[in-house]
Amino acid sequence: MSVWEIVELARHPQRPYSLDYIRRIAPDFIELHGDRLSADDPALVAGIGTWHGRTTVFLGHQKGRSMKDRVARNWGMMHPEGYRKALRLAHHAAKFGFPIISLIDTPGAYPGAGAEERGIAAAIANAIMEWFRIPVPIVAAVIGEGGSGGALGMGVADRVIMLENSIYSVASPEAAASIVWRDNTRKVEAAEQLQLTSREILAMGVVEEVVPEPKGSASANYDAAAEALDEALHRHMRPLLELDASELRQHRYDRFRYIDSLVHAEPHFGPKID
Amino acid sequence: MAILERHREQVAIQGGDLPEILLPTNCPGCGIGLELEELRAHNYVCTHCGHHFRLGADVWVALIADSGSWNERWADVRSHDLLDWTVPKPYQETVERLLEDGLNEAVRTGTCTLDGKPIWLATFDFGFVGGTLSIVAGERLARGMEQAASSGTPYVLISASGGARMQEGVLALMQLAKVNAAVGRLHDAGVPYFSVLTDPTFGGTAASLALLGDINIAEPGASIGFTGPRVIKQATYADLPSGFQSAEFQLAHGQVDMVLPRTELRPLLAHLLEMHT
Repeated sequence: MSVWEIVELARHPQRPYSLDYIRRIAPDFIELHGDRLSADDPALVAGIGTWHGRTTVFLGHQKGRSMKDRVARNWGMMHPEGYRKALRLAHHAAKFGFPIISLIDTPGAYPGAGAEERGIAAAIANAIMEWFRIPVPIVAAVIGEGGSGGALGMGVADRVIMLENSIYSVASPEAAASIVWRDNTRKVEAAEQLQLTSREILAMGVVEEVVPEPKGSASANYDAAAEALDEALHRHMRPLLELDASELRQHRYDRFRYIDSLVHAEPHFGPKID
Repeated sequence: MAILERHREQVAIQGGDLPEILLPTNCPGCGIGLELEELRAHNYVCTHCGHHFRLGADVWVALIADSGSWNERWADVRSHDLLDWTVPKPYQETVERLLEDGLNEAVRTGTCTLDGKPIWLATFDFGFVGGTLSIVAGERLARGMEQAASSGTPYVLISASGGARMQEGVLALMQLAKVNAAVGRLHDAGVPYFSVLTDPTFGGTAASLALLGDINIAEPGASIGFTGPRVIKQATYADLPSGFQSAEFQLAHGQVDMVLPRTELRPLLAHLLEMHT
């Protein structure tokens, strides 16, 4: 399969979205709304559900399948209110000791004037910083597109895993082409250069595991895809439930602090600091 | 302000010491003919229209640090072409050429004193691949912040950056998390963190450390935002009002505490340091 074919699979309109997974792995899921400041961001679903016998906070980018739903969900591109809603739910989780599952599936944060006017940069910056302070276990999974700061704003976790045909990138191939070539039609070359497939991301040490998808990709069998995702999420969550808050926070800090240590840039990269 | 008067002499001394920069013959703000010596004495701000020229890391260090106090750290950490990036230009060549030109990555950091008070200083350099956040940049920032947090030394950041560096792929994106984790340590340790946003500050740099200062100070006319105006227009076909994403726009939208001329920056930082330590 070519890199571009994987990008198309990751974005396939029949690919399962966050709610398709959440409703399968936590059938009693209750969606909660609003950032308690000004709005509810429909590009991010958030709520609580019982998962392996434990109340769990679920967060996930949500895309729409029909044109009407896509518009309503803003193609899974969050506004500042979405990051504030996510943090509100993270504090809910912290208050009650619930673990957090975050499903990532976004081309990026919304590149529009309204998002800028309401402080999208600071909203993402603050979310990324705050995730390091949340005292409960967090497991994140990239289920489709992991695009740029919009994805990372929901991707600071103790473990991060990826579905086989998902992508994770510093910018969408179109945005990268626009930045590097000043020509967003060079997206295929950009995708090849970016090393954004799950195997490449795993090799860089940025995620802990790639979860195989059913035959014909997740789009072909939602139940089997949800079962595989559920098993992997639970396997990563279980040991985290044994750690206390300070251990969790230290491990999360170290996970991102030394995430590039496989690169071995010279000299003295990695945990040893003079 | 009396406090600003007190520091004025210091400004003039610093201004006289600034390294030379390449200037156009006429000011892009007002078209007036430029005199290097006059501009240099005014911290590279046009005396006629107030246009703020972009400065490299070496000039910012000279502008902020007391003469002779700069102790640069981790200058030997180098970028790697980890994605074998070849088109349209090999990344390795780009980096090597910039190093030959005397630039040393998109962020330089170290310790110095400002008006006699010890600080950690980090400054982006827009001339190095658009001041993009790279692994080396992230590493220098995180190490400095960790040391500032443990020693209780105030941290001053000067940003000028297009965001995360495409040529380092997802690991460049991860620098946002790495650096913000360290910013959290600064805040948790009660260490003052003053962030100065200069033209331009965008993308992953705006969406990480640049807007997380205890006090955010923007330079007049600087463009600051997440998505650049070209991409916003492409994506939404929106007409953007004039002044969109300017420093003044960000002040009006609550993202920065003030828009401050460069000639007043050093005395203000000195005063803020006094008030917070």
